[in-house]
Amino acid sequence: MLPRKREIVAGEVEDLQKKTRAGEGEATREEGDAAMAGRGNEIDEDLHSRQLAVYGRETMKPLFGSNVLVSGLQGLGAEIAKNLVLAGVKSVTLHDDGNVELWDLSSNFFLSENDVGQNRAQACVQKLQELNNAVLVSALTGDLTKEHLSKFQAVVFTDISLDKAIEFDDYCHSHQPPIAFIKSEVRGLFGSVFCDFGPEFTVLDVDGEEPHTGIVASISNDNPALVSCVDDERLEFQDGDLVVFSEVHGMTELNDGKPRKVKNARPYSFFLEEDTSSFGAYVRGGIVTQVKPPKVIKFKPLKEAMSEPGEFLMSDFSKFERPPLLHLAFQALDKFRTELSRFPVAGSTDDVQRVIEYAISINDTLGDRKLEEIDKKLLHHFASGSRAVLNPMAAMFGGIVGQEVVKACSGKFHPLYQFFYFDSVESLPVDPLEPGDLKPKNSRYDAQISVFGSTLQNKLEEAKIFMVGSGALGCEFLKNLALMGISCSQNGNLTVTDDDVIEKSNLSRQFLFRDWNIGQPKSTVAATAAMVINPKLHVEALQNRASPETENVFNDAFWENLDAVVNALDNVTARMYIDSRCVYFQKPLLESGTLGAKCNTQMVIPHLTENYGASRDPPEKQAPMCTVHSFPHNIDHCLTWARSEFEGLLEKTPTEVNAFLSNPTTYISAARTAGDAQARDQLERVIECLDRDKCETFQDSITWARLKFEDYFSNRVKQLTFTFPEDSMTSSGAPFWSAPKRFPRPVEFSSSDPSQLSFILAAAILRAETFGIPISEWAKTPNKLAAEAVDKVIVPDFQPKQGVKIVTDEKATSLSSASVDDAAVIEELIAKLEEVSKTLPSGFHMNPIQFEKDDDTNFHMDVIAGFANMRARNYSIPEVDKLKAKFIAGRIIPAIATSTAMATGLVCLELYKALAGGHKVEDYRNTFANLAIPLFSIAEPVPPKTIKHQELSWTVWDRWTVTGNITLRELLEWLKEKGLNAYSISCGTSLLYNSMFPRHKERLDRKVVDVAREVAKMEVPSYRRHLDVVVACEDDDDNDVDIPLVSVYFR
Amino acid sequence: MSSPSKRREMDLMKLMMSDYKVDMINDGMHEFFVHFHGPKDSIYQGGVWKVRVELTEAYPYKSPSIGFTNKIYHPNVDEMSGSVCLDVINQTWSPMFDLVNIFEVFLPQLLLYPNPSDPLNGEAASLMMRDKNAYENKVKEYCERYAKPEDISPEEEEEESDEELSDAEGYDSGDEAIMGHADP
Repeated sequence: MLPRKREIVAGEVEDLQKKTRAGEGEATREEGDAAMAGRGNEIDEDLHSRQLAVYGRETMKPLFGSNVLVSGLQGLGAEIAKNLVLAGVKSVTLHDDGNVELWDLSSNFFLSENDVGQNRAQACVQKLQELNNAVLVSALTGDLTKEHLSKFQAVVFTDISLDKAIEFDDYCHSHQPPIAFIKSEVRGLFGSVFCDFGPEFTVLDVDGEEPHTGIVASISNDNPALVSCVDDERLEFQDGDLVVFSEVHGMTELNDGKPRKVKNARPYSFFLEEDTSSFGAYVRGGIVTQVKPPKVIKFKPLKEAMSEPGEFLMSDFSKFERPPLLHLAFQALDKFRTELSRFPVAGSTDDVQRVIEYAISINDTLGDRKLEEIDKKLLHHFASGSRAVLNPMAAMFGGIVGQEVVKACSGKFHPLYQFFYFDSVESLPVDPLEPGDLKPKNSRYDAQISVFGSTLQNKLEEAKIFMVGSGALGCEFLKNLALMGISCSQNGNLTVTDDDVIEKSNLSRQFLFRDWNIGQPKSTVAATAAMVINPKLHVEALQNRASPETENVFNDAFWENLDAVVNALDNVTARMYIDSRCVYFQKPLLESGTLGAKCNTQMVIPHLTENYGASRDPPEKQAPMCTVHSFPHNIDHCLTWARSEFEGLLEKTPTEVNAFLSNPTTYISAARTAGDAQARDQLERVIECLDRDKCETFQDSITWARLKFEDYFSNRVKQLTFTFPEDSMTSSGAPFWSAPKRFPRPVEFSSSDPSQLSFILAAAILRAETFGIPISEWAKTPNKLAAEAVDKVIVPDFQPKQGVKIVTDEKATSLSSASVDDAAVIEELIAKLEEVSKTLPSGFHMNPIQFEKDDDTNFHMDVIAGFANMRARNYSIPEVDKLKAKFIAGRIIPAIATSTAMATGLVCLELYKALAGGHKVEDYRNTFANLAIPLFSIAEPVPPKTIKHQELSWTVWDRWTVTGNITLRELLEWLKEKGLNAYSISCGTSLLYNSMFPRHKERLDRKVVDVAREVAKMEVPSYRRHLDVVVACEDDDDNDVDIPLVSVYFR
Repeated sequence: MSSPSKRREMDLMKLMMSDYKVDMINDGMHEFFVHFHGPKDSIYQGGVWKVRVELTEAYPYKSPSIGFTNKIYHPNVDEMSGSVCLDVINQTWSPMFDLVNIFEVFLPQLLLYPNPSDPLNGEAASLMMRDKNAYENKVKEYCERYAKPEDISPEEEEEESDEELSDAEGYDSGDEAIMGHADP
């Protein structure tokens, strides 16, 4: 029975796919047309490159055709609208029937005090429009009716009564086609989301991950069939995944494109639900690729879901019981607002009591879903702060809801099903708040004061913060800090540093930047924009990279003065560095990062948590060198090779030429001293540029490019297959060309092949650029003239080198290094070089080209994509378009505004704790989230590791100090008294002392500071009284003991 | 076990405790040279190479970069750059490994059992597959020409000013240590 049943299921899935594929095509065409009509052109790929790397073109198109309504323009609505305008939907309509109050300024960054009294939606239109001219932004005021909803693909409500919401949701749910309905609220430190995308919503890609693949090594004739793959990389298939096969030799029946199911998935093999016993016998080859079937989700309408909420999406497993309670709490608050037409007053016991009573009475009606206990303390916090829309909560939920709208419009990623509740009560100060402290002060921070009190508000305003980085995370943070009033008093200070300038591709999410800021420093522009949001912000913008080289700027006094550090970085090296400084100066570090729809946050709090560097992700996988050199089997390998060839030909060699030209004597003597194969190779390259392959006209560059083409894509392949013929066997008798290696074939050049021709032209253009030769206009696009120029080049026939034994001509001699001494060749080359350099015009130099991925007109990506695709053609690897090539070769990190905004919201919820002080580790939270699934994983940080030795114990946050200008021997004795035998003492990256080096013994009676000055070149600045050394030591039983950093206070 | 900051020190210490001769450049710990002897009973026996070791900031999470500085004829070592294509010191590296593993196990194994199916020096691989005798002669010829103790010592005077003779004395016994573990 079972197999049969499964077959039916598989058949259905297949049918479904066909239908969806058909439907998809239509939808794309329709919406594509709409987008075309709306903006008259295609996706601006320069602007949206980072976002395209997350969604792909096929998702962006329907997104660009979608019209979205955002109702309720307090902080949450503003955040959602911002994320959607940045994402580039077709239109965003803002609706609000209320007017701006001072209260709104704690979370809506589009508003200023001048806007008070205006309609909220109208006050936001112009500033939202500035973010992206391709999106139509408009305002709708007054009452909203169902009829208004019909022209939208998605509608979002951030401030709507439950009754009204049910009415609108019913309309959207039964509309044809259904309109995606989202209701979200943030009330103080509590938030909720509800999604209803209609009775049958099709998700095209449930997780956004690339389909997994494997290289087949064997397939059995069996039922089920056992598929083994090469042990190059672990397979990531899971039981139940569907896969398709291609390039299988022998068992060709599997190449039919029909998805088949995986079972018993193992690291390098799996069973396939298919009877292959009657199929042809497997011979070789084959690639297996996961197919991701679309998923249909049946949403319940709001009315039904309210009483049958099903499973809530969890976020914090220490709050397992909370979502049902919050489901109740939000209903109780809705009832309070309906009955009293207002929110509870902050700190009012009567109002809180009323909300609790409503909650209890609703709970009593729930029957078997009734909660046994109602946490009144939690409801107190909920009710008391409910009027406030806090910026961090708005930022977090703005990210979540923005992503849900994108899902609704595109079918990309799995929607939130259907309720999500969250709270951050741990952000409240440790000591109970007095009602008097919560009273409004007629300031823009009144909302925040109503939750946290004036005492904490003052602390926030006086905070001294260092924010490192001012890119995507940085812009969001600056907005958040400005709204929260952080560093907004005379005593407060926010230092932001970033050494980068603004590029066009930043604009799709770094929302404080505009196109007229391109080329300007990020930190300055962002700081200026943040001061528009809150003119009281005390911000200083610097352009220093945070690194050991800038410790004169970020010196001890700077660090000692800080209250907290916020990282807004995009690389691990800088994160590690800032982490080490924060550990050293004992400062809280709030760390976060994003990758596509994923984000993580980590709190590093002195003595309470481990530091950032204590745990690490494994480094990125790199393809083996031999694979990249000669045996690529996927496009990544081809692109890695392409980038390295680009750098070698266009950057390194011209740089080398210039190094020679600027100082021939030094250059030559250095080559002579080195005397090795590398020096010889470099000399050969220099001579090539100055002599044999020197370019004087553009036609010379064409010739060079054409001959390079022949060399790379024909001659080298012929040589490789001559050395390793298709049928060659390894010593063990196995075929040499077996999976994952792919047998290459030369590409025969044809100027009528546009991809070949445009590659040659692009390469010639860059070659000409390195020689300063003007570029002929006709070369910029493939045409007849260009083809003729290329065809003119005379290409010599290629003869493979006859292995190692036969040495015939001169060139072969110089390449067959075995029989020739490098030093002798180097002498010959030097003589040649000296001769050649006499013929050069005075002042001759080359222009090295540095790879720049983000300029679409510089031909760099054309050359790299061309290199990679021609190589892919050699090895029958599927080619990629320029955009995909750019993502891989440019190592473009996919990035979207939604996950970025959410990460900064989560971090700012922690900032309340770090600045208030007195919190225990249990109050802090680290988060990992993936909006694509969606998944939230919120947990307490890990405490630091404690090391014990005899009576002593310490963590990474401790440091040992010794006073006195001591010698190395005295330091060793000081440690010996603690039962520690030191064998190595280092300072920076230099060894001051190692017991194994006899020559270090004579240093023992010298002062530590003097040895450090001499060996480590460590000059202690005059204001510092100490020097830090790292000591490696063992206890008396020869066990290594990891002791703290030792500070020697020598003056 | 211990913090990454001290791994360099500990690894270096263990290496020297195992009697390897280490040449430091001005006492810097990011880059140094280790003298490596061809394993006993291999065609590389008698050869000695100066192997450049680079420990990046991310060590031991990221593998050390390893390169032969004097020539070696081997299917998996690039003839020009001396780079080694070996999975355990590239793709499958783990922070559990250390420098002693590299010099006691990984490199001796590589010299004893070259893998011509994934060559970095195609010429060597092809010769090994086609004509084992010619290949072995060539390996020995290279050892003879480029991997004698005198091939790696003259550079010492230029590159490290402050090396001690007493360290060098240790390396005869170092030989023994390598041979003892070369073929587990």
